[in-house]
Amino acid sequence: MRKGILEFCILSIIRRGEAYPSDIVEEMRAANLHILEGTLYPLLTRLKNADMLTYRWVESNSGPPRKYFSLTEKGLQFYQELEATWNELANAVNTLAAKKDSLANVPTSNNDNL
Amino acid sequence: MKKVININFQGRVIPIEETAYEILQQYVESLRKYFANEDGRDEIINDIEGRIAELFSDRLKKGSTCITEDDVNAVIASMGRPEDFDTVEETTSRKQTSPQQAAPTYRYASNGRGRFYRNADDKIIAGVCSGLANYLGIDPVITRILFVLFFGALFWVYIILWIIVPSQSVQSNVTKRLFRSADDKVIGGVCGGLAAYFNTQSWIPRLIFALPLIIGLVSSPFNAWFNDWDFWWGPKVLTGSLGFTLFVTYVILWIAVPVATSAAEKLEMRGEKVDVNTIRNTVKEDMESFKSKAQAWGSEVKQTAQEFGERAKGFGQTAGAQAKAFAAEAGPVARRTGSGAGHVIGILFKAFFLFVAGIAAISLFGLLMGLLFGGFVIFPFKDFILEGFWQNALAWSSLLLFLGIPILALITWLIRRIMGVRSKNHYLGYVFGSLWTIGLVSVIILVGLFARNFKSGSEKEDELSGFVQPTKGKLIVDVAPSNIRYYGGDWFGIHDEDFPVYGLNQDTLMLNTVRVNVVKSKDSVYHVHKVRFSRGRNPESSLNSAEKIQFDIQQKDSVLMLPKGFAISKDDKFRNQRVLIVIEVPVGKKIMLDRSLNNYDWFNLNMNGRRRWNANWDDNWENSYSWRDNVEYVMTETGLKRTDKKSDDGYDESPDEEVIAPADSTHPKANQPAKPNQKTPYRYKGNEKKEKPAVDSTKQESATTEENDPTQQNETYPSLIYMLARIAR
Repeated sequence: MRKGILEFCILSIIRRGEAYPSDIVEEMRAANLHILEGTLYPLLTRLKNADMLTYRWVESNSGPPRKYFSLTEKGLQFYQELEATWNELANAVNTLAAKKDSLANVPTSNNDNL
Repeated sequence: MKKVININFQGRVIPIEETAYEILQQYVESLRKYFANEDGRDEIINDIEGRIAELFSDRLKKGSTCITEDDVNAVIASMGRPEDFDTVEETTSRKQTSPQQAAPTYRYASNGRGRFYRNADDKIIAGVCSGLANYLGIDPVITRILFVLFFGALFWVYIILWIIVPSQSVQSNVTKRLFRSADDKVIGGVCGGLAAYFNTQSWIPRLIFALPLIIGLVSSPFNAWFNDWDFWWGPKVLTGSLGFTLFVTYVILWIAVPVATSAAEKLEMRGEKVDVNTIRNTVKEDMESFKSKAQAWGSEVKQTAQEFGERAKGFGQTAGAQAKAFAAEAGPVARRTGSGAGHVIGILFKAFFLFVAGIAAISLFGLLMGLLFGGFVIFPFKDFILEGFWQNALAWSSLLLFLGIPILALITWLIRRIMGVRSKNHYLGYVFGSLWTIGLVSVIILVGLFARNFKSGSEKEDELSGFVQPTKGKLIVDVAPSNIRYYGGDWFGIHDEDFPVYGLNQDTLMLNTVRVNVVKSKDSVYHVHKVRFSRGRNPESSLNSAEKIQFDIQQKDSVLMLPKGFAISKDDKFRNQRVLIVIEVPVGKKIMLDRSLNNYDWFNLNMNGRRRWNANWDDNWENSYSWRDNVEYVMTETGLKRTDKKSDDGYDESPDEEVIAPADSTHPKANQPAKPNQKTPYRYKGNEKKEKPAVDSTKQESATTEENDPTQQNETYPSLIYMLARIAR
């Protein structure tokens, strides 16, 4: 996956509310994006260290307390930037992919005078 | 049937099968290694562990009695192994691989063979050693040790390789670390660990370490039989220096290398674990690399063909277009070469600093080693220098701590760096630091105490009684051949003649700090004066030790026999005792000083009033008449004169003058009567003691007064400058 896309996916999930990592994995799996938890944790930590995310501990009755992540102001801004970039890219790719008409003929080469 | 243990995992008590626990531990360890360079490493590991604990709790809640291997494997599968992270993250952040390697398969070093890269993953300086090892398929430790050992010769090779070889993330196939073996140990497990590391039987390193000891035990009866066996390269090398080196090596490894406790560490100790997975991967990768090579070759052919066509096309284009194309092409090329040059300059700069640092480190190391061994050489002298328990204790502690600790620390650091030993605790550094501080303090105290013992100086002067005037008007001064055989000539490997201190046995030290001065007699007869100097803590003690010097001069007709030196015992202590023989030669009489007098040495440890001290190897004779050995001189009114009419050639300062004047006759003080309260420790007062008033008393005075001049200079000049001037001469 291209750099940034994974972050974009994660931020778009967390944007909708506080999320627990395994919830994120589930969400992505549901969207047919398979990701390992071991990949997710470092990403979350990196985003958190970059002040994009913040978390709070929630006591759980089935194990140690859980970290629930939510978006910060900066994270939201970053998300919007990513979204804009993504839309631009997606539009561009879609436009190109959707075109059906054949290209205009290339002018014939003028190397006959060799 | 499996053993179940309870572990405290993220604050939960979890019953787990022992084998499952080992797998889990390995897994966490592999994560830790994988995220080693990550910023929030501990946090990531904690999060993952927390998640694992949660999954375990789930499982236990569903009715499992304990966590089994299957459970652990299932959890690991859901979390992913580090190598699986790579396939996802490869293009995201961690590594910039060239397009051919962008395929999501895992690269193993065995495939990296054939191309020589600097290893970007496993490097100390630039990854040359590990890249080379990878290329040759050997252990990086071997190449690193080679480069360290042949630092001088291989330095430039390293730099050149650094510049020309591209850096590449070569997945190292050897994840071996040196550990001490906990299972396979006799003393510290060092040999067991080394055997595991080098993949040999553990008796081999054991034998290597024990061999000198065995030889020592075997050869000791012979040594006892031939009491003084000076067979220097034989048993001494094997049992002495080599055995000692190996012993020190063992102890250093014992200190520097941690014990392998966890399962993961034990596996690391033996190198990479080989399982079906890695083998399958390797085979697959081999196949694919072949396929991709074939593809690459095909595309290359195609590309060449295309290029050829384009070139043909381009050739037909106009000159303007060509120039444009050239400009467009030249731009990036120029930029590329520019960055290449920058790269080279950058590396050269780095290399230069590395070189300077390396030289500094090596010279520091050499200096420390020199001081340490110098300290050991001097150590037998300590009984003659130091007194009391405290000074001895201080000497030991300063030698071992102040000098030994830095060497130990340096070697430890080097071993850790090369062998990839990881230390989790930093207590060793603190221990080294505090021990060294203790050493430093003891050095300071020792120097202070030592200097105090040399603080004041005294001299005892007497005229030689029973001196018979030589017949024929000629006095020959000679050194009596010593018939005392001292304890082995090479006691310290220092030859007799080279050192003022020689012929030492267990409790006697021979000093030859003797000097002979020739002055003009004020009357018509020869006089011989013996002046004994010594230093001490106070005037009484220094006078006392000066009086203890035994220096008996014998006379055989016209030959004056001086002893070879004088002995001081352990109880007397070395306090820079010196003997000055002043021979007064009457005008018109002759004197000859034998060559053997050259064997005397003279040095002066001067701890003057300003608490500065210097070791002054005072071997110049400018204070009295200079003389050369085996030359007959006659005393004239103006000074000593050669009887053979030849001038003193070569190194004499006044070759044109036949008469050798007192070198300091131009000195302003030369004609002044000496003031009795001057600071100089000794003034020869020969003529003042004479009953008969001397005719040329002032002249005599000047000649002998000057003898003290170097000491005066010492007090006015900064001693360091003085020393430098002496060295420069």
